[in-house]
Formats: sequence, structure tokens, C-alpha cells
Amino acid sequence: MNTTDRILRVDSLTKTYGKGGNKTEALRGITFDVREGEFLGIMGASGSGKTTLLNCIATMIRPTSGKVILRGQDISEFRGSRLADYRGRIIGYLFQEFELLDNLTARENITLPLALHGKTAREAEGKMRKLASMLDIAGVLDQFPSQLSGGQKQRVAAARAFIANPDLVLADEPTGALDSKNSKILMDQLASVNRELGKTIMMVTHDANAASYCSRILFIQDGRVFHELRRHTEKESTAAFYERIVTVTAQLGGGGANVL
Amino acid sequence: MFFKQVYRNAAKNRKGSGLFFGSLVIAIVAFYTLLSLGEQDVMRFLATVESDAVKKLLALLPVVYVISLFFVFFLVYFACKYQTDNRRREFGMYLMLGMKRSRLFFMLFCETVWSSLVSLLIGLPVSLFLTEGISLATAKLVGLGLIGHRFSLSIPAILWTVCGFVLVQMFAMLIICIPFGRTEPAELLRFDASKRQTEQSKAKSSAFFVLGILLLLTAYYLGIFHLRNLDITVLILLLSGILGTFSLYRGLGGFLGRRIHRKAPDARGLATFTGRQVQENVIHQHQALAVSSLLLLMALTCVSYGISLGIGRATDTRSTDFSIFASEAEIEAVLEDEEIHDMIRSVYPVYLSRTEAAIDDSVIKEALRKIDGGEAIAQSIHWDYVISQGSYNQMMAAMGKDPIDLDGETVALFSSMGREGDFFSILDRAVEGGASIQMNGREYSFYPSLCYDNIVADRAITLYAALIVPDPMFAEIALKTESYCQNVHLTDAAAEEMGLMQAIQKVDGKLDAAGLEYDSFLAGIGRNLFYTVSASYLTIYLGILFLLIANTVIGLKYLIGQRQNKHRYLTLLTLGAGTEELCSSAKKQIQTFFSLVLAVAVISSAAAIVSMFTGLTKLPIGTSAVTVITLAGIALLVFVLTEAIYIHVVKKTACREICSLEKIGGRGVAS
Repeated sequence: MNTTDRILRVDSLTKTYGKGGNKTEALRGITFDVREGEFLGIMGASGSGKTTLLNCIATMIRPTSGKVILRGQDISEFRGSRLADYRGRIIGYLFQEFELLDNLTARENITLPLALHGKTAREAEGKMRKLASMLDIAGVLDQFPSQLSGGQKQRVAAARAFIANPDLVLADEPTGALDSKNSKILMDQLASVNRELGKTIMMVTHDANAASYCSRILFIQDGRVFHELRRHTEKESTAAFYERIVTVTAQLGGGGANVL
Repeated sequence: MFFKQVYRNAAKNRKGSGLFFGSLVIAIVAFYTLLSLGEQDVMRFLATVESDAVKKLLALLPVVYVISLFFVFFLVYFACKYQTDNRRREFGMYLMLGMKRSRLFFMLFCETVWSSLVSLLIGLPVSLFLTEGISLATAKLVGLGLIGHRFSLSIPAILWTVCGFVLVQMFAMLIICIPFGRTEPAELLRFDASKRQTEQSKAKSSAFFVLGILLLLTAYYLGIFHLRNLDITVLILLLSGILGTFSLYRGLGGFLGRRIHRKAPDARGLATFTGRQVQENVIHQHQALAVSSLLLLMALTCVSYGISLGIGRATDTRSTDFSIFASEAEIEAVLEDEEIHDMIRSVYPVYLSRTEAAIDDSVIKEALRKIDGGEAIAQSIHWDYVISQGSYNQMMAAMGKDPIDLDGETVALFSSMGREGDFFSILDRAVEGGASIQMNGREYSFYPSLCYDNIVADRAITLYAALIVPDPMFAEIALKTESYCQNVHLTDAAAEEMGLMQAIQKVDGKLDAAGLEYDSFLAGIGRNLFYTVSASYLTIYLGILFLLIANTVIGLKYLIGQRQNKHRYLTLLTLGAGTEELCSSAKKQIQTFFSLVLAVAVISSAAAIVSMFTGLTKLPIGTSAVTVITLAGIALLVFVLTEAIYIHVVKKTACREICSLEKIGGRGVAS
């Protein structure tokens, strides 16, 4: 990989919970790169360490050892205002349960990361209108989350993740709380934001359907990268890529002996 | 194991929330202070001179106790609710682990009993200390001095305090536990127990807001300009005031929402979030806000009323110390006693008698009728009594006041009905206006100011109206020309040295021993003190209780809301907000939340105080403005300090909770 393309490097990352006899190693020295504009999927069984990996990159937890280097800077060294700046502006986060503030309107939720970094909603009006139209939420901007459907909530959350123009958007099971129809709408729209705005997305998912929208998938098992799938974008359809993902997932479920 | 768990949980509750524990201790102090009133030095002293009145007051205490129980219940209820809401997940977990609901309730019951015991162990000594302080301070203020102080430990008060407190806590826990009995474990385990926010209908919220303001303005108008008697106006005033407050807070959420919406495009940082949090609290807690605001209003007015009553009574002047109904020789024999001889300043006869002189009072009655409200006085006034100028002037000299100067064509109008209210001012205006009276066919003008200093020691004897006439005239028109009684004044040195009460009590003893019939200032001061204690003490007590309850309710309501919305703060941390920013937002929310309650309460109480001093309860003429302003200033300072302490404690608790979120390190768990 050309290093100039690389936006993120995760280097020998480990995370251990507990002490002494109760030690649990969630990550055991993971190393991989993420390219600019890539739509990367992270898949793995429960307990494989994928959410821990995402939380380490999002600075929600500190890794035990190893480095997370974003655009050449080690984020584990970030403290105070630099850390706050990283959280809202350099990375965006899309949660499984949306995590919209239910006492703010959709518009106020979307512009919250901007406000936190000293920008007003008026200054980002154009950007918000573009995102709202891409994510099909222009008509619900003045409504409160309780008045929105699950799909609309997650699209508002997606707009919030993209509004500050972050370098990287981390998505933790974004379709986990949606039905299949809304999952498809969301993934179509995330893929189009990735394609049209060139945004880098790193998504943790269980769902092979959601993963089939990615351009590359890392399979994690017992805290290590176990396998990698690349989509041949030009010639491979989402359906074909889905088939390959399902096959790998089945083989992962069946044990190491069957793995490619 | 079970009781170890109970002990640990109770300890955790106490450590986790100073506000919770503080509220319990306040409840105990409130109960004991009230119930031990009969043991206070002042009350013990009063019982010796005004036993009937004291008995009546002490009979009233159970009623005040029940009122206190009712209000303290809310204090304890919110404190317990805050604690149990924080532990919803823990309860859900217990149920999922197989604990029976009955056992869970038993555990909570045991925890409550244990917390009650610890609170009582701390609260009772605090109460004793406080009541002793109050007892000493009031004894000093009214001149009882330290000599009369006795350490008082009221066992019945302790027992009733314990009963009331445990009863209130158990009842509060029962009410809180009932909904838990119907809640599924999944619901208890759910992180988010917050209510959902929706935009209020614009028209509806505006209507409530405007209606609230209109109703409150009506109440202020009625209170300031039309509250003269206890009639239907009071009912309309109360209704419009209460409904207005509720309506204003009901509509306030929408008003705040529109303001936030207007400002949102240019808002930076957490301004919009802070605004929405406040708005949400107002929408969901509008009833609690209205109740707290009304409680604060009651607190402020109770304290102001109590202080003004205290001042009003305290300004009653001491005209004479004893009025003895015996011959001069008998009195002299007693007063020559070595022990009290030096304490006597002056002794003089009082000439007061009925008269049957032919009186034509048409001129003064006409003058009275011309004054607004004077018709009733004109109809009822009568001139049965006359007082000699010499007696009155001797009393004035003993009091250190200027004598009145009557020439042969002037008489003075005397009334000892008190200087409060319209009666005094109407009579005063009539004599100032140059009214006259005819006696036995001769016309006399009135001395231009009204005489009011009581001519005898006991204030139970009041003269509705009498005429002070020059001595020769008194001899002419009085039915009884011998003296009515002998007045005795004590020296200032004796009053200062021993305390006035002790000095009077000493002479009392001698007069009693001689078997003389007399009235003493002590009986007067006793009644005076009785009013001061019963009215001002109880109103100030209730005022402070309301103040504490209102503040605790607002504080706990906010903290319960913040705890329920913990996930929002976690999301904001993930989105890049710093803990300092979140704490500053929480502080602003708390300040605004308290201000919203305080603003309405302060405006309403300003109107209430103006109404009190202009309408129903005028301050007595001659009350020192400096004293009133100083006491009002002290009361205001205590109020501001109480608010500042509460706001500080709530802010500290809120920030501690926010900081603990960062330590949790986000919501993620390893997958």
C-alpha cells in the first residue's frame, strides 16, 4: 500500500482487561492500515475483540500497548483539548443505538459536533442541507427523535457523524437496531456518502448484508486479524461479495481447520 | 450476609449523597425543634405568667406537627426517590438473580430503618444543640438573661420526633416501592428511564404562559390594592395566584423552546444543549417547579410576617411596671423593704374615673365621619372615662417622654387600643384636624396629638377612648376623685443589672407576700411575648421549613433528571465535549433551573410583602425603620446564603457525577 494513501495505522495493538488470574486479552497485537476513502468492514464472532478495537480507535478506552496512528499522529498521546478535538472533528461515530440526544431536534443533534468545536449551525447550513438530502432526512430536521422512525434516527445520527467533515467515521453495528428495509436504505446511503464525498468509513458488523457494501473486510478472531476479503469493485456485485462473506463467516464458525 | 448487604447499601447511600442524608437530618431537626418548644426558657417563663395562653399554644403544636409531617414527607420522599432511582439497575439485577420481590422490599425496609437510626443519631444531638442555642438567644433577647436558662432535654419530643421521622420515611419508601412491584426487571435494567421530549403545541403553551402572567398580575393587583379584610377577595387572590403560577410554568417550556429555536443557528458550544435540558426539565417538572415556587413564596412571606410581628410586638412601650390597688401607706410599707428599696424609681397615684358630665361630641363625630372608614368609629365612640393630666404627665416623666400641656380650654384624647390598624390613624387625623368637644356646656379643643401610652401596667385593661383633662377639671367632673391605683416604676439600673424580667419578678414576690392586689408589666410582657413566640416563632419556623423543602425538591428533581439522562453526557463525551464543558453546562442548567423557581417566588413575595404592609397588617407607627430594614436584610442574607449553599451542593454533586462518567470510559464493552 502506498503510505501517502494511508489515513490510519493500527500497530501491534493489545488490550487486556482484569489482572492476574482474571486477565482477558481482548486484542492480541492487531496490525492493519486503513486507506483514505476506504469503506472497511470489521467482522468477527462475539467476544472476538472488534468493538474493543473500535473503542480504542475512538479513544473511548485506552489500549494496553501498541499504537493507533491517524495521519501520522499517535492518538494515544492525545490529552485534554486535543483529545476533544480528535473526538468530534477528526473522527465521527455512528452507534448501534443511534445515541441521539432526545431533547434536541434532529437539526440540533446534527450540528452538535460543530457547536462543540466553536462553529455555528448557520455557518454549516449548506453542508447540512446537502447531507440531509443525501440521507433523505430533509423533511424531519425540526422534529425530536421520539417523533422519528428507527431508520430516520440512524440517518440523522449518520449526518451528525459526517457534518464536521471528519477524516474517519467509525460505525459500531449501525444496522443492529434496524429492520432489513431500513438497514438496506442506511447502507445504500452510507455507501453513497463514501463514494460521492470520499469519506473513509470503518464499520464493525455481524451482518453479512451490511458488510457486503464494504470495499474490504477484516475478520477478527480471538483478538487477532484472522482473514481479509477485498471486493473487486469494478467487476464484483454486492450480491457476489455477499456470497463470499457468508462463506468465510461459515468457515470461521466451523473452526480454523476449514479456513481458506 | 443479608444484613451485611443492608449495612453496606445504607452506608453507600449516605456517602453517595450528602443531599439525601442532609435532608433526613433536616427532617429530624425540624420535628424536634417544634416539639421541644414547651421546654424553651421563654415558654417556661411564659407558663408562669400566661399559663392559659401557653396551654393553648402547646395544644396547637400537634396541628403544626401534623402540617410539618405532611411537608417533611415530600422532603423525605424526593430524597428517597433520588436514591432508589439511582439503584434501578441494581434492583433489576437482584430480581434477575432470583431475589423475590418480597425479599427485595424487606431489604429496602431494613436499609431504611438503618438509615433512620444513623440519621437520628446525628440529627438528635444537632437538634439539641440548635434548640439550646435558640432558647439562650431568645431568653437573652427578651431580658430573661442567663440566670433563667436551664438545659432542656424533652423526652416526649425525642419520642415523637423518632415516631414522626420513622413514619414519614417508611411511608415514603412504601409509596416509592409500590411502582417497583409492577415494574418488569427488563425495565429496571434499562439504562434510560427518561421521558421523551416532544415539541409543545405553540398555541397551547403560549396560552398557558399568557394566562399565567395575567392571573399573577391579577393576584398582585388584588393583594396590593384591594386586600383590606378577610373576604372573598382573599379567595380570588389565592386562586388566581396558585393557578397563575401553575399555568405560567406549564407554558414556560414552550416559551423557552421558541427562544432556543431562534438562537440555535448562531449557538456555539453546549448552549443549545443547555437550553434544551432546562426546557425539558421545565416541561416534565412544571408541577414540581410551581409547587417549589409557591413553597418559596410561603417561606419568604412567613419569615417576613414573622419578623414584622416580632417587631410590632416588641415595640410596645413599657409605660409602667406595676399598678397597685392599695392605699399609699400599704404600698410604702412594702417598697421600703431593703431588698427592693433601691430598685424603685418613682411611685405616683393614677386618677382615672368614670364621668357623668354632659358631653356634646357632635363636632368630633362629624370630623370622624368625614374621614374614610371613620363612620363606624363615630357610631361607637363614647366618653365614659376621664384621666387627670397630672397622672398622665407623671407617667410620661417616668418614661422619659415630654409631658402634655393642656390649657384651660384644651383636653387630650386618649386611647390604649394600640397603634396598629386604622383606628389609631383615624382618631389621630380627627384631632389633628382641629375637632372639638363640649362638656357641661363649655367647648374644649383637642390637644393636637393622640395619647396612647397605657396608664396602667396590665395591657388587658384597655380604654377604647377617654379624655385627659386638667386636674381641677378632673376634680369637677370625675365620679371618684380618689386615686384608681398607684403606679410604680423600677430604675433602669435594676432592669439592666438583673434583666427586666428578673427585676419585676423579685418585686412581684414582695407584693405577693404582702397580699396586695396589683397588675404588673410582666403580665403585659407575658402576653406580648406570647404573641411574639406563638406568631413569629411558628411562622418563621414554617418559613424555614418551606425554604428547605422547596430547595431540596428543586435540587433533587434536577439531579434525578441528570442521572436519568446520563447517556446524553456519555454521547457528548464521545462527540468531543470535555468534562469541563459538560460541568459548566450542568452548572448553567442548575443556576437557570433554580432561578426560574426563585424569580417567580421573589416577585410574588415582593407583592405579598407590599400587600402585607399596606393592607391587612400595617406595621405599628413609630416602629424603627432601621430595625425593620436590618432584620429584613438579615432575613434576606440568610435566604440568599441558603440558596447559594443549595445551588453549590447540587452543582458539586452534578459535576461529580459527570466526572465519574469519564472514568467509566464510554459505553463500550468488549465484544
